Amino acid sequence: MRARALIEAWAVLVGLSAATTILSIFEVSGRGGVIIAGFVLLLAGIKARVILSRYLQLRNSRFWTRSFDFAIGSFLLLSFGLFAVAIEY
Amino acid sequence: MSNALDRLPADKDDSDHHKAHTTQETGDGWGVLGELPGDLMMWVLIMSELLVFGAALIAFLAVRTTDPAGFAADQALLNRTEGAVNTIVLVTSGLCAALAVHAREINKRATARRWLAAAGVLGAVFLFVKGLEYWSKASAGIDIETSPFFTFYYLITGFHAAHVVAGIVILSMVAWADSLRNMETGVAFWHMVDLVWVLLFPIIYLLR
Repeated sequence: MRARALIEAWAVLVGLSAATTILSIFEVSGRGGVIIAGFVLLLAGIKARVILSRYLQLRNSRFWTRSFDFAIGSFLLLSFGLFAVAIEY
Repeated sequence: MSNALDRLPADKDDSDHHKAHTTQETGDGWGVLGELPGDLMMWVLIMSELLVFGAALIAFLAVRTTDPAGFAADQALLNRTEGAVNTIVLVTSGLCAALAVHAREINKRATARRWLAAAGVLGAVFLFVKGLEYWSKASAGIDIETSPFFTFYYLITGFHAAHVVAGIVILSMVAWADSLRNMETGVAFWHMVDLVWVLLFPIIYLLR
C-alpha cells in the first residue's frame, strides 16, 4: 500500500513540475509576470510539501508538518515579495 | 540469489537499530523529536542545510532587486529544459530512494539495495546534465565572475551539485550498512537534496 502511495506522490510531483514548466513558458511582463511568479512559487511549495509528507514520511506528525509548512511558506512569501519589489520598482 | 538475499535474517546490530527506530517512531521519551524518521543528527543537518540554501536564495533575490533587468537578461541564457529534465530526474530518484526504505521495512534487503542503486544512478544522470549545462556556459565564455547573477548561479547550483555527490556517497554507504535506521537516515539526506532543488529551480531558472 505504501509503495502505491509513494508512486502516487511521484506522479503528483511530475504533474506539478510539468505545470510549473508550462507556466514559465508565458512571456508576461509587469503585474502579469508577478501573478505567474506567485503561481510558480505556490507550485514549488506544494511540491516541497509532497516531498516532506510522503517521501520523508512526516505526514503523521502534525507538529513537523505545521513547522515545515510555516518555514517553507514564510520563505516562499519572502521570495515572492522580493521578486515583486524588483518588478514593481 | 536476490530472493535469498531478501530472506537474510537481520543481524543483531540491525535488530538493535530497529528497536531504536521503533522507539523513535512511537516517540517514547523523545516528544516530537521521536516523530522524525532516521537519526536525529541527520535532521539537524537537514534543517541547517535548508537554512543555508534558503539564506542564499533570499540573498540572490535581494541582490536581484538592485538590477532586475540585468538579472533577467542573464537568466534568459539558462537552459530551462535541462533544468526541467533534472527536476524529473531528481524526483524520480527520490521515489527510488523512498521505495528502498519501504523494501527494507518489509525486510527485502536486496530489493532495497537495487532501489538505492537506481536512486544513485539517477543522481549521476542529474550531475551529467548539470555538467552539460556548465560546459555550455563555459563554452560561451560565461563564468562565475561574468555578472552577479552568474556568481549566485554557480555558487548555489554548484553547492547543490556537491550535495548530490555527497548524497550518492551516502546512498552507497547505507546500501552497504543496510540497517533500517541507516537507510532511513541516508535517504532523508537524499530527499533534502531533492527538496532544495524544487525550491531552487523556480527561483533561479524560472522567475522573471
